[in-house]
Amino acid sequence: MNTRREFLRTGLTLGAAFSLTDMGGLFAADAQSAAPGAGPRPVLVAVRDGDRVAMLDKAIAELGGMGAFVKKGQSVVVKPNIGWDVPPERAANTHPSIVKRLVEMCFEAGAASVSVFDNTCDQWQKCYATSGIGAAAREAGATMVNGKDESLYREVQIPGGRQLKSAKVHGLVLDSDVFINVPVLKHHGGATMSAAMKNLMGVVWDRGFYHSNDLHQTITDFLTLRKPTLNVLDAYHPMVRNGPRGKSADDCIEMRTLLASADIVALDSAATKLLGHPEPGVIGHVRLGDEMGLGVMDLKRVDVRRIKLA
Amino acid sequence: MLVALAMLAGLSAALLDFRGLVPHRLGHALASVQLVPAALGAVAGLTLSVVALLAILALTLALGRVYCSAICPLGIFQDIVSRLARQVGPKKRFLRHAKPLSWLRYGLLGATLLAVLAGWSGVALALLDPYSNYGRIASDLFRPVGVLLNNGLVGVAEWFGWAWLYRVEPHWAGAGALAVPGVALTVVVALSAWRGRLYCNTLCPVGTLLGMIARRAAWRIEIDQEACRKCGACLKACKAQCIDLRTAEIDASRCVGCFNCVPVCTEGGIGLVWKWHRGAAKDPEAAAPEASAPPADEGRRAFISGSALALTAAAGVAGAVVAEAGRRRRGQGRGPQDQGIVFGPVCPPGSKSVERFLDVCTACHLCVSACPTGVLRPATLEYGWAGLTKPQMDFSKSFCNFDCNRCGEVCPEGAILPLALAEKKTTQLGVARFRRYMCIVHEEGTACGACAEHCPTGAVHMVPFRDGLTIPQVEPEQCIGCGACEYACPVRPARAIRVEALPVHGRAIVVKDKPAESPAPVDDFPF
Repeated sequence: MNTRREFLRTGLTLGAAFSLTDMGGLFAADAQSAAPGAGPRPVLVAVRDGDRVAMLDKAIAELGGMGAFVKKGQSVVVKPNIGWDVPPERAANTHPSIVKRLVEMCFEAGAASVSVFDNTCDQWQKCYATSGIGAAAREAGATMVNGKDESLYREVQIPGGRQLKSAKVHGLVLDSDVFINVPVLKHHGGATMSAAMKNLMGVVWDRGFYHSNDLHQTITDFLTLRKPTLNVLDAYHPMVRNGPRGKSADDCIEMRTLLASADIVALDSAATKLLGHPEPGVIGHVRLGDEMGLGVMDLKRVDVRRIKLA
Repeated sequence: MLVALAMLAGLSAALLDFRGLVPHRLGHALASVQLVPAALGAVAGLTLSVVALLAILALTLALGRVYCSAICPLGIFQDIVSRLARQVGPKKRFLRHAKPLSWLRYGLLGATLLAVLAGWSGVALALLDPYSNYGRIASDLFRPVGVLLNNGLVGVAEWFGWAWLYRVEPHWAGAGALAVPGVALTVVVALSAWRGRLYCNTLCPVGTLLGMIARRAAWRIEIDQEACRKCGACLKACKAQCIDLRTAEIDASRCVGCFNCVPVCTEGGIGLVWKWHRGAAKDPEAAAPEASAPPADEGRRAFISGSALALTAAAGVAGAVVAEAGRRRRGQGRGPQDQGIVFGPVCPPGSKSVERFLDVCTACHLCVSACPTGVLRPATLEYGWAGLTKPQMDFSKSFCNFDCNRCGEVCPEGAILPLALAEKKTTQLGVARFRRYMCIVHEEGTACGACAEHCPTGAVHMVPFRDGLTIPQVEPEQCIGCGACEYACPVRPARAIRVEALPVHGRAIVVKDKPAESPAPVDDFPF
């Protein structure tokens, strides 16, 4: 009795302090954590002010080490953003050092195989080479797989899709035990922001379908098929305008930040803040991701672990 | 023979290469020493071409048509075909001596020369140049077949867990463009299987032209009548049917300089003989048929009558040509049109203008093979008849990679002039035209931005629309016409953004932005 009264009192006090929607979120979170079988609040690790590899090491350690995601003998697919034939300093692609370290970590955790690919926008061999990702990933022992080979994609139903009912998805994403999404944070002329959710457009064959059938909805729909096991966002040197390709390195600013989470919506929600958006919900696919229950947009309901390395 | 095989292998590798493995300088170098490209490149001012042209002429003047046996890929290819035909075909007797089809030979050469003089080099050379014919055969026919074989092998490689093989999309030219190398391959294979170098000695204007020089060469193959026992061994070795044993004459204009006849003679009765000792032909100008020896009389008559024939034919063609050229100059190519805007065809960066490009390019397709994105495709009638099989930028298939100037680097003819990367990045091939009323953002009210996403210069960018959406806007002066926006646009059947071709290429301006500012606090987490 006493406990319940206290609980109600706390809830009401907090409720007065927050807006109505926030209160709803609060109760939803409580209900979720109280419900049997439901996991704890999603963890989002945000690291600042280190070099890329140090921030990545710290973030993964905070999430319980790569062993929490990759078990011995498993196959892993790593999906960076390798969309463009531009060098690393332009930050249109994920930085190669992050991809390389992730591959190493996967092997350290006992992965049987690590494959890396992207359905690129520019010519794929050039993207793999100029981005530095091809060489870096191979050096760490990963296999670079052709993302422009239609025969490697398989038509599958998207179970919860509203617009995207079926899609040709790369076999690596369908078959690998572990799916690691490692995007780069960018401004995007069409989708406003490109981070973790947008990066997954590069695992389907027909990108044009997304563009012509409600971009934000289709981006979100894909997650009802498979959500990445782990998402790592490279926000070291993000492109804040002229995205997603950018015109020059002048489009980028130094932010020295890296985010990691198993919750793709929570991670993208934090990413919107990095790009200075007042509300995560202004990015259509982030709002829809929360609405469709694919992750948590409200960072108050997320266990955000902020770490500064300097 | 080793030189010949190396030449054919090197050129074929460059033309077949679908993975960008062959160094582009190799293809460029081997193509540059071909006669027609060398002549065109010399006119365009390419140093390598000038050297190559002089070297070919000097070589021919010294030793005869060695070019046809050791340098020309179509010639070497025919030797392989005729050898194979002899292996697989019915037990073949050797090729007897045959009379030259002089009227046809000189007629075709005359027609070609007249066409060149009439400003019609672009068509005549494109269709008749042996190197370009081989280029098209290798690039348009062998290359996609090679890709299919490769793709078949990928399955095997995957089974073994090898990752170094991967599937590639075979690029087939359109049926109309494919017909040209298809016919050429059929003719060349049939003629060489039937009668060795008949093509080279009848249809090929390069062979005929070099033959006129070879007739006056310093060293020529001669039969030593005293040593010769008329055993016919040399005849069997000859692929050009140019040895007449009865008269012990060798037609130097048809001898392709393979020298196969020399080592087979057990009597030492056939060999190279220095022929300039009488002083009659020391002047290189004497290569003209007027001052030639008896067998040339027939040739001269044929050359004159053939030329007359060609003149009549050329006059007929010329009418069509002039009309065509006029249409081109007025900027009304036969490209797809929409509401008065001509969207194509777009010619590659470095070609300067459609007109210049069509005049110089002989459609050897080395650039088509070298283009890493596959945007360069043989045209059918997009440029008009004058541009049949010449490369155009097909933005429905791909787009021009911003950081690439490969086509200009490989072109042996100066049809696509080499451009420094910085210059290429501002060379304006066309201008993107945005049709707002067709755009998804306007029509569906949903986000897109695929065009702006792909734009490398920022010419196509997104501006605020309604409901928090953004819609494309084009800054024409910053657009280089690379076609990335057109390729990426998901609107069908007609795309909402398309490149309007510039008949004469322009120069785009580059707007330099100030360094970006951080949208969020820089020293702490904004959440």
